[in-house]
Amino acid sequence: MTSEEPALSLECVTVELGGKRILDNINAKVMAGEVFGIIGPNGSGKTTLLKCVSRTISPISGRISIRGKPIDAYSDRDFSIEVSAMLPHWPSGFSIDAYEIVLMGCRNRTKGIWWEGGEELSVVDGVLRQLNATNLIHRDFDTLSSGEQRKILIAKSLAQRTGIVLLDEPVAYLDLKHKLEVMEVMRDLASSGHTVVMSLHELELASKYCDHLLALDSGNVKFFGTPREVVTVDLLREVYGVQAYVRWDEACNFATIIPRSSKDRRGG
Amino acid sequence: MVETTIRQKRYRFVVYAAVLSLALLSLFFISVMIGSVWFSPETVVGVFFGTEGSSTITSIIMGYRVPRVLFALFTGLVLGISGGVMQTLTRNPLADPYITGLASGAALGAAVAFVMPGIPLYAIPIFAFAGGILMLMLVMFISRKAGSGPLNFILAGLAVGTVASAFLMIIITSASNASHGILYWLYGSFSTSSWSDLWTAAFIATPFLIFMLLKSRDLNILIFGEDHAKQLGINSHRLWVALLLSLSIAVSACVAFCGVIGFIGLVAPHIMRLLVGSDNRFVLPLSGMMGAILLIVSDDIVRSPLNPLFEMPVGSMTALIGVPFFIYLLIKRGKNFDL
Repeated sequence: MTSEEPALSLECVTVELGGKRILDNINAKVMAGEVFGIIGPNGSGKTTLLKCVSRTISPISGRISIRGKPIDAYSDRDFSIEVSAMLPHWPSGFSIDAYEIVLMGCRNRTKGIWWEGGEELSVVDGVLRQLNATNLIHRDFDTLSSGEQRKILIAKSLAQRTGIVLLDEPVAYLDLKHKLEVMEVMRDLASSGHTVVMSLHELELASKYCDHLLALDSGNVKFFGTPREVVTVDLLREVYGVQAYVRWDEACNFATIIPRSSKDRRGG
Repeated sequence: MVETTIRQKRYRFVVYAAVLSLALLSLFFISVMIGSVWFSPETVVGVFFGTEGSSTITSIIMGYRVPRVLFALFTGLVLGISGGVMQTLTRNPLADPYITGLASGAALGAAVAFVMPGIPLYAIPIFAFAGGILMLMLVMFISRKAGSGPLNFILAGLAVGTVASAFLMIIITSASNASHGILYWLYGSFSTSSWSDLWTAAFIATPFLIFMLLKSRDLNILIFGEDHAKQLGINSHRLWVALLLSLSIAVSACVAFCGVIGFIGLVAPHIMRLLVGSDNRFVLPLSGMMGAILLIVSDDIVRSPLNPLFEMPVGSMTALIGVPFFIYLLIKRGKNFDL
């Protein structure tokens, strides 16, 4: 494997759902060891894009490859070792302890059909500690708050121990401290060689923690580049339809976004 | 951390399994004693060890009671396990193994066999089995056309089941001479259970039963749906279909002989879930044992001399016993049933 080969590449990916074009001719390359952010307003196609990469839905045309190999060429088992995805879920209707959900993540690598092995259990312990979620393990998953459920689902994805980790809004519903914790964990993952692809709405966090950002609007790529290139007044105006100031903190290398309301026109 | 939790859970499972096995064993022994004639424990032991002198007693116990109790045990096992599987597959805690219209299909098949001239009594199970499986195929076909997903599946089962019930009612009301037999079959009975019935049902159902138990870990993962399971490397659609077919064949094999016995498949998994949580590796085996216990007790009451005039259908007895128990648990630990 050459270092030039992208961990994940999308070529001309087009998706239609129910006759409506959701993604239109998307091209992207994600290198190993980076945190790749997908941003864009609601309904812009972020989740759909992640679902394509995780093989949950298939595009009508285009090609998605992992390290040069098309994703359709992987068996279910092999794919589950390459890619994990935290996607929207629905309530199960049964009471399941949170740790049982994290343990499910280990299923992709186990040979045993009945009990989990000691190695799996230590992986689960490690992941829970990393995410600072050990206090949740005995709780019924359906009774956790949305933010806590997010954390458990992230833990499940990490327990899969895949090279590529896909996350659909991993920090939604989390409070500020937990948002930062999760983003730090993603950075750690990336620096240990994993590839993290996530959708998110928090542009300030995206600017600080992502290596590259892809901005979608109505299924088209509107902006792509480093956070410095993407998180701009133009992005906010053209993609989000918001008038705002963007300030870059040179020391810490992150953007601050201050919305402009119609009232403070004179100050602008 | 997680390891201690899991060890505790496994320990609890072993304790429950031991208690239920012991209960089953003693229940089996007591049930052989019970009947229109009561036998003493010594007589039963004597028969089992071949020291009983009376050949009449030996033939009553070995030829009639033991196969009957064992058939109830096996059917309870099948219904308990299948109920747990079906509730997880449809992600619906209110599902039972008959939700595919399997019960109405089997009943319709049996009813047809009752009213058609020239069909011998021993062929009724074949018709019932075929009816149940045909109904399942129809439901699977329709739900496939409607788009997969548990809800479509349940709705298709409801629709097809209703049509089958309608035909059943037409047959019952038009063929008055056969209607008693059909109704009796409909609510289930072990009064005709024989060794050959037991062997046939066990021969058909056991492989599927083992398959379902071996897949309990993967079944856990299906609780969050097919997409979720697929991401963990499980061929979820194939597993879903395989489990559904397995449970339907296993249940049909028993139901074909003893009739439609309700509530066991609904209640037994719930009782065990309240005690050991939702992990199917614990729930399914225990739910099978609980189903067997409930069904043996129901059958004991039905054939005990407490009601000497007629034998009640065992299906009504399972409801009379199982549902109050269920309601008690529901009220006591209702928080676990939040949808």
